Amino acid sequence: MRFQPNEDQSTFFTVLEQMMGSGGAGWRAGEDWVRFDWSAEFDQLLEENGFFDCAAEEDLGAVAAADMVFCLASLPVTLECAASSLLRPQFFPHLPRPLAVIEDEASAVRFLPVARSILHIGEDGVRAALIEPMMVEPVESIFAYPMGVLRDAPIQWMKIDADPHLVSENWRIAIAAELAGALKGGLESVLAHVRDRKQFGRPLGSFQTIQHRLAGAASSIEAARLLVLKAAQSLDPVDSATALGYVQDASTDIVYDLHQFMGAMGLTLEHPLHRWTYRARLLRSSLGGALGNMQLASVRRWGEA
Amino acid sequence: MDFGWTDRDQAFRARVRDFLAQELPSDWDEIRRHGPGSKEQTEFSLEFCPKLASARLLVPHWPTAWGGGELSTWEHFILGEEMWAAGEPRGAQYMNVNWIGPTLMRFGSEEQRRAFIPQMAAGAAIWCQGFSEPDAGSDLAALRTRAVLDGDHYVINGSKIWTSYAGLAEHCFLLARTAGAPGDKSGITIFLVPMSTDGIEVRSIPSLIGHGDIHETFFTDVRIPATSRLGGEGEAWSIITYSLANERVGIPRYELSSRVLGDMVAALKQRGQFRDSAVQARAGAAHAACEAARLLVYRVVDQLANGRDPDADANIARVAVIRADHAVTDFGLDFLPDTFSGTGHPAHLAHHERAIVAGIAAGAAEIQLSLVARRHLDLPREAC
Repeated sequence: MRFQPNEDQSTFFTVLEQMMGSGGAGWRAGEDWVRFDWSAEFDQLLEENGFFDCAAEEDLGAVAAADMVFCLASLPVTLECAASSLLRPQFFPHLPRPLAVIEDEASAVRFLPVARSILHIGEDGVRAALIEPMMVEPVESIFAYPMGVLRDAPIQWMKIDADPHLVSENWRIAIAAELAGALKGGLESVLAHVRDRKQFGRPLGSFQTIQHRLAGAASSIEAARLLVLKAAQSLDPVDSATALGYVQDASTDIVYDLHQFMGAMGLTLEHPLHRWTYRARLLRSSLGGALGNMQLASVRRWGEA
Repeated sequence: MDFGWTDRDQAFRARVRDFLAQELPSDWDEIRRHGPGSKEQTEFSLEFCPKLASARLLVPHWPTAWGGGELSTWEHFILGEEMWAAGEPRGAQYMNVNWIGPTLMRFGSEEQRRAFIPQMAAGAAIWCQGFSEPDAGSDLAALRTRAVLDGDHYVINGSKIWTSYAGLAEHCFLLARTAGAPGDKSGITIFLVPMSTDGIEVRSIPSLIGHGDIHETFFTDVRIPATSRLGGEGEAWSIITYSLANERVGIPRYELSSRVLGDMVAALKQRGQFRDSAVQARAGAAHAACEAARLLVYRVVDQLANGRDPDADANIARVAVIRADHAVTDFGLDFLPDTFSGTGHPAHLAHHERAIVAGIAAGAAEIQLSLVARRHLDLPREAC
C-alpha cells in the first residue's frame, strides 16, 4: 500500500502542473457567452507531448492516467481527456483523437463536434469510426461541453478487438475521474471566493455553516479520487462501479453547495463556476447514474439474490 | 501509488485471523454484546490479552526492549483492523497498546516505565483516560481539575466525565491543571493515578452504548506522590499531541462496518429481500462509504509509516469513517430492524451502538470538519 507517486509519476505531475498553469488552460469567457471553452491549443500541446499516452508507460500506468484526468478536469477549459487517457492507449492507440463515446444513441454526445473518432461500447463489442465535422450537427446545450448528434451520413464502423466489458469498466473509471476532477475545480473556485468575499464584516469562509459543508465536500472529493485510482489499478468491476456511484452520489450535494456559496455571481456566465458544475450535472447520469452504479457495485459484490 | 498489500502484510493479517479463529470462544458474541467497556469484556480481555502476548501479537510494533517485535506501522494497523472487526477482544487494553505504552516509553521516568510497561506488554493492565470534564469536552483545554503541589505530593480535586473503562481500571492517565485558568493549555499536567487511591469515586452512567462504558469520576483531596507526574508541569498538551498522533485515524471502524454490512446482506438474501433494486443500491452506497473511509484512512497510515505528519488528512479520514458507520447502521435499521431487538443479531446491535459514538468520541465530527476547513481548505478561523 503506497500512496505517494513514484519518481516518474512525480516528474510527470510536476510537468503537468506547469502546463496547467500556462496560458490556454485558464478561464476565459466564450464568444457569445457559449457555455464551454474548448481549448484546441492546450489539447494539442498535451497530445504532442504524449500526456494522453501515459497509461501505456510502464512507470506511469493507468493510475497516473486516472489522476491526470482528475487534474485536467479541474481546469475551467474543457478537454477530452477521459477516453483519450484511459481507453485509447490500451485499446485503440491508432485512432485519431479527440474521441467521442456514444453511450446512448438517443442523446446528444459530448465532444462530438470536436471529435475525430467515435466509439460505441456495446454488450456485443466495441466499434469505432473516423468522423468529419460535416457528419456532426452541433447541439446547443446547458452542459459545459461541446455537444452534438450524428447526421444521417453513412458511417464506416470498424470492429475493435477488445473485451467490451474491460473497455466499459475503464470508461466507468474515466468518467468517475473526470467527475471528481470537475467537482474539485468547482470547489477550488468557491474556496477562493469565500476566502475573499466579506459580508457582515467578515469573510464568508469564516461562517461555520459554509466551512463544514465545504469540508464535507472536500472529504468526498478526496475519497472519490482515491476510489478512482484504486479502481484504475485493480480493474476490479466492484471497484469501478463503487468509484463512479460514490462520486455521482456525492455530486448532487456538492454542486448545490458550490452554487449556494458562490451566490448570484455563480449564476452568471462571467464567472467560471458553471464550467465545472455543468459538466458535473451531465456526468452524474452517466452509465446508470448514482443509483445504477451503486446497485451494480452491490450486485457485483454480493450477487443478485 | 500502489493499492495492493505486500506478501508480508497479507501473511500477518492471516496470522491474526487464525489466532482469532482459534482463541475467541464460542460465546464471544454474547460477551461482546455488553460492549468494550463492560465488566464482561474487561474480564475477558484479562484472559485474552495474555494469550495475545504469548503469541507475540499484543504489542508487535513495540521495540523489542519492551516486549515488542519492531513490526511496521502497517502491521500494527492491520492488527487494529482485525481486532476491532472481531469486536475488540482487547477491551480497554487497545489504548495501552496504541498510545499509553508508547507515551510512557518516550516521556516516562525509568521508574514509571518499569512499573507500567511490562504489565501492559503482558496483557494485564487496565487503564482509563481522564480527559473530558463537564465543562471541557470538545474544548479540552478548558479543563478545571486542579493538582496542587503539597510537599512531595500533589493533591487533586475535580471531576472527569465520559471516562471509558473507569469502573474497572487500575490506573488513570489523568490531565489536571497545575497552573493557569481554564483555557490555558500551558498549565495542564499529566498524572498516572492509581484508581485505588483514597478520594476517587467512580459512578457508572447508564448509556445507549453498552453497559459500564462511560463514567463520572470524582477526585476529592486525592493525594498522589509527585513521582506520579508524567513529564514536567505544563507539558501535557505537547505530550498528548504526540500520544494522539499515534491515534490520528482513531479506531478502524470501517472494517467492522464493512463486515457487518456483508452479514446484513447475507441475512437479507436468506429472507429473499435482496432482490429489490432499492435495497441493492443502498447496500452499494454503504459499501462505497466503507471503502471511501478505508482508503482515506490508509492514506494517513501510509503517511505515518513514512514519518510524515498527516495533518488535515487525518481529519478528512475521520469524517469519512463516521459517515461509513452511519451508512451501514442506517441500512440495517431500514431493512433489518428486527435484528436490533430481542434475540436479533448481536454483532449488528454492537455495531449500531458503536456507530452512534463514532461522531462524538475522540473529537466530534464537527470539530473534524472545522479542522479540515482551517488546515486543508485554508479558510479563516471561525468568528464567534
